Amino acid sequence: MTDDAPDGYAVPDGESPVACRYCGRPFGDDQLLALHRGLEHGDRLGDDERAAFEDALASERDQLRRFRLKALAALVALYFGLLIAYAAFA
Amino acid sequence: MDTLASAGRWRRRTRIAAGVAALGLGTAAGPGVAAAHGGSLGAAAREQLAVPTWLFLATGGGAVGASFLLSSFVTDRALVAAIHSWHRGVALPRGLLARAGRLVGLVGLAAFVVTGLAGPREPLANLAVLGVWVGWWAGFAAATYLVGNAWPAINPWRTVARALPSLDRGLPGVGAWPSVAGLLALIWIEVVSPLADRPRLLVAVVLGYSAVTLAGAVVVGPVRWFASVDPVSRVFRYYGRVAPVTRDRDADGTSRLRLRLPGTGLTDTESIGSDGEVAFVVAILWATTYDGLVTTPAWRGAVRTLVGAGVPAGLVYPAALVAGFLAVLGSYRLAVRYSRRTADTYRSSGDLARRFAPPLLAIAAGYHLAHYLGYFLSLAPALAAATASPLSATATVPVLALPEWFGGVELAAVLAGHLLAVWVAHAIAFEAFPGRLQAIRSQYPVVLAMVVYTTASLWIVSQPEVPPPYV
Repeated sequence: MTDDAPDGYAVPDGESPVACRYCGRPFGDDQLLALHRGLEHGDRLGDDERAAFEDALASERDQLRRFRLKALAALVALYFGLLIAYAAFA
Repeated sequence: MDTLASAGRWRRRTRIAAGVAALGLGTAAGPGVAAAHGGSLGAAAREQLAVPTWLFLATGGGAVGASFLLSSFVTDRALVAAIHSWHRGVALPRGLLARAGRLVGLVGLAAFVVTGLAGPREPLANLAVLGVWVGWWAGFAAATYLVGNAWPAINPWRTVARALPSLDRGLPGVGAWPSVAGLLALIWIEVVSPLADRPRLLVAVVLGYSAVTLAGAVVVGPVRWFASVDPVSRVFRYYGRVAPVTRDRDADGTSRLRLRLPGTGLTDTESIGSDGEVAFVVAILWATTYDGLVTTPAWRGAVRTLVGAGVPAGLVYPAALVAGFLAVLGSYRLAVRYSRRTADTYRSSGDLARRFAPPLLAIAAGYHLAHYLGYFLSLAPALAAATASPLSATATVPVLALPEWFGGVELAAVLAGHLLAVWVAHAIAFEAFPGRLQAIRSQYPVVLAMVVYTTASLWIVSQPEVPPPYV
């Protein structure tokens, strides 16, 4: 582990995360970094960073939409799975 | 085990089971398949489950999983933050309440000691037994997470300790670990000794606790002792974080009562600050499980086998208590390590373990309520009767008969604890991670661990209750 990670963070040896230039927190990829900058340092962003934040939000929205469809499918499967199990075994 | 507690638990358990059957998606009752596993069962126990055990367990696990999926639909950061920061304040006549609380604590403790020694031997008529188990450990503890933590105001040992001189030696840097050991020791004493049957033994334990507590408070100072070493104060403090009412200070130093939504106090990221405190949260959760585990037929069989193989009976209980605690703590830490991976984060596992520990308190509170609400309500009239005539037994002990549907209330308590925990963990994850999908992904291993734990706990609930052997 490197010693220069902020409190509550640990970066394994050999990994080179992207770090926030305002607070030094390490992140796994540019999208997470862009989201972090927008959420935590929203009032200090330059134009590039603001654009990156908005892009990251848009792509997050798409990912969330796909996730919701999967979550809904899982809920339906769970519900009917249990319903059928109750009909068959209880 | 004590007959008072077992009798209460026996009734509770059959009601929980009846409630499970009633909730079973409205399907009609079949033969008691699950009950058939239990061997020596009475007719009451045979009605326990109208569904096969595996299906009952799958439903419980499924409910936790479904609540995670449902909470994952709430991805509006502003909404999550607004729910968790909502509060109202009320000014508090602090001096008056503090004096009243101290008086209640001191009078209560004195009354328990006197009636434990001089009152009726019959446990159901003895104020000390009923006061400690029904009034304090069932009723007061439930009030702590349902309403708010009044223990610092009432705690009679704190009142006495503050009047005593203090040597004020510092504590060595052991964090919350002494209170973890203290809590496990108290659970061990509760399980292996007939504390709810013998008023005098109960008084002996209370006096022993008093001696240790006062000596400790004199040596390290009351503030340090009750803040970090005393397990009882820590249990109530942690349960109080689930509650809607808390106390805080205004800028000008006046005390205020603060009303918040239940469970929202658990999202305070500062509330659990060390590995020892995480271990204490896990110990509270494990305590409720262990208490039920030792009354299952499977436990009886395992203990008999072990003792038959030459293991001393006195060693089995504490060894299982500690081993189980370490296993639950280990699984929690393992889940958190996986959570680091699924969330693709550089937050350390220690940091995540501290952040995600508080929701476990909501689960513990749910189980406590399920275990003790019926016990409290059915024995509250006996407590009132014993309070009215503390030194002589009444002819009959008044007991409230609870309706059949009450089992549904208890099952709902278990589920409500889990739902609250899943929601709180969701909110904590949103606070901890910049990515919303990342926050949801961080919950996969934790939710899996919760599903496993729910299933195991419901299995214990579904088992017929037998007295633990060799105690």
